[in-house]
Amino acid sequence: MPELEPEGEIVAPGLTALPLDQAPPGAPAPVAGTTGRPRSLWSDAWRDLRRNPVFLASSLIILFLLFISLWPSAITWESPLKCDLAHAQEGSGPGHPFGYDGQGCDVYTRTVYGARTSVTVGVLATLGVAVLGSVLGGLAGFFGGAGDAVLSRITDVFFAIPVVLGGLVLLSVVTGDTVWPVIGFMVLLGWPQISRIARGSVITAKQHDYVQAARALGASSSRILLRHIAPNAVAPVIVVATIALGTYIALEATLSYLGVGLKPPTVSWGIDISAASPYVRNAPHALLWPSGALALTVLAFIMLGDAIRDALDPKLR
Amino acid sequence: MPLDAGDAGDVQVTGPRSRGERLLDVRDLRVEFRTRDGVARAVNGVSWAVDAGETLAVLGESGSGKSVTAQAVMGILDVPPGRITGGEVLFKGRDLLRMKEDERRRIRGAEMAMIFQDALSSLNPVVPVGDQLGEMFVVHRGMSRKDARARAVELMDRVRIPAARQRVGDYPHQFSGGMRQRIMIAMALALEPALIIADEPTTALDVTVQAQVMDLLAELRREYRMGLVLITHDLGVVADVADRIAVMYAGRIVESAPVHDLYRAPAHPYTRGLLDSIPRLDRKGHALHAIKGLPPNLMDIPPGCAFHPRCPAARDVCRTDVPPPHPVDEHRGSACHFWRECLHD
Repeated sequence: MPELEPEGEIVAPGLTALPLDQAPPGAPAPVAGTTGRPRSLWSDAWRDLRRNPVFLASSLIILFLLFISLWPSAITWESPLKCDLAHAQEGSGPGHPFGYDGQGCDVYTRTVYGARTSVTVGVLATLGVAVLGSVLGGLAGFFGGAGDAVLSRITDVFFAIPVVLGGLVLLSVVTGDTVWPVIGFMVLLGWPQISRIARGSVITAKQHDYVQAARALGASSSRILLRHIAPNAVAPVIVVATIALGTYIALEATLSYLGVGLKPPTVSWGIDISAASPYVRNAPHALLWPSGALALTVLAFIMLGDAIRDALDPKLR
Repeated sequence: MPLDAGDAGDVQVTGPRSRGERLLDVRDLRVEFRTRDGVARAVNGVSWAVDAGETLAVLGESGSGKSVTAQAVMGILDVPPGRITGGEVLFKGRDLLRMKEDERRRIRGAEMAMIFQDALSSLNPVVPVGDQLGEMFVVHRGMSRKDARARAVELMDRVRIPAARQRVGDYPHQFSGGMRQRIMIAMALALEPALIIADEPTTALDVTVQAQVMDLLAELRREYRMGLVLITHDLGVVADVADRIAVMYAGRIVESAPVHDLYRAPAHPYTRGLLDSIPRLDRKGHALHAIKGLPPNLMDIPPGCAFHPRCPAARDVCRTDVPPPHPVDEHRGSACHFWRECLHD
């Protein structure tokens, strides 16, 4: 048999002399795929997703957003900071499909450049929240005890803080025009949500028999946590984080609208919406384009999260 | 330790054909669970021992404490709510209960391993079986993934999984119940441990597959000269493979004997009840015998002999005094006040 399988390394002392399996000698060489492709939760989910129109539509929108965030100049030809008061509030014209805003800046260019800010804030805040929340929640759920109790009370405290009010208070004392204070604020208020979900799913996964079996066969705590619990507990975190990404983008716009988020000259949909709202009767286009872009972006992430949740829930299959 | 505790310590018997060194010696083990409703005393002074190359069957109903004993021995009891309140577990002469967790972890899997009842839920659904098998070598032997996978194929061959090389990358749900249990057995065997504890290894399987898996386990045990602790409620499984039987009831060993002695003449009314309740082909048409009543609530174990409310031979003394373990002969013991009458019935 070994000569049929050149890459085999049969070296087990005491195991070599055994009568090998019942496969008749000279059986055809192994045909890959005789038992079907390995199916896992993730490959099943991917198969479902590929056929889901909601997933396809939302990911197209998100891919486009990512593209214009990385290369906004690919589809624009001016600087978003080039403004000419002579054109203030003008409607669309050649080379300026969305018209001008109250400061005479090109709405099309600013809407495209605004995607970069939104995507940056959304992605970084979500990453921070997901990492901090799942590490803290996962450890608390796995080890339990006093640390878990303390962490659960801390998350309760954070849940009690109203987000917009918290933003008004905390961010109004911050100066500077970078995106970091806004991202930091979102991570600070956002991690308890993920932490709670990660804790819950780790506690569920911990009770599975295979975790006890792994322990009985000598796996260490870190190995059990990383190899046996994390892959089985990560799905709800991914779903919630995807939906949260959309809400962080909306939150950034909200905070910028209120004047405590990002500040000019940063280009942001929230800032533009805020600036355009006084002239909404004269120049509605200056409000509608950034608002529409914001709504579409948030919707795309929420739809993506929904589609992923449906695909990862075997009960819906 | 209170004298009336009924410690079965003295009942502990060595097999008549003791095969080798004493591997595992459980002495007066006590485990309780603290719950909101009170303290459940799941194991109340259990003692048994296994020698190298020997098979001990621990027999009992659900809730008799047999699985909890196994978990305490392996060190995988959920603490809290579980708590080991007394006793010793000597493995090759060293008390596992006093070891550091890190030291115990290195023994688990390498020197003593466990097989679980339901192989589907005991295997990680998102990791291919070959990787789970190979993990034994990665964790304990520091092997590379590639080498570990090659060993996994050998092990799958060893437990007679057809087309092991093609199936090594498959996931647990792609195997049948019997094949999955073979994979569990392969994992337990991977590092050739001295002792295997099998907790109801065939309960979740079809009857025909049960026999194959038991035969495989018995054969591998002989070949590797392992000690095997077989935890079961199935008297049929026990008769074929066990050398000795320890019968548990309400967290105690009520009878301990070489398998043939026990089947021929039980020395405890509970054992007798169990044997009588096996359906028999030659008694077709007769009513099935059952032990009346239910196993006791572990939070409220009856005083005296825990079995007395269900015992046909119970007398006044059984309601008040915990029966001490009586040596029936040099190899067996019975925790019944009236073991002599039971034996000669």
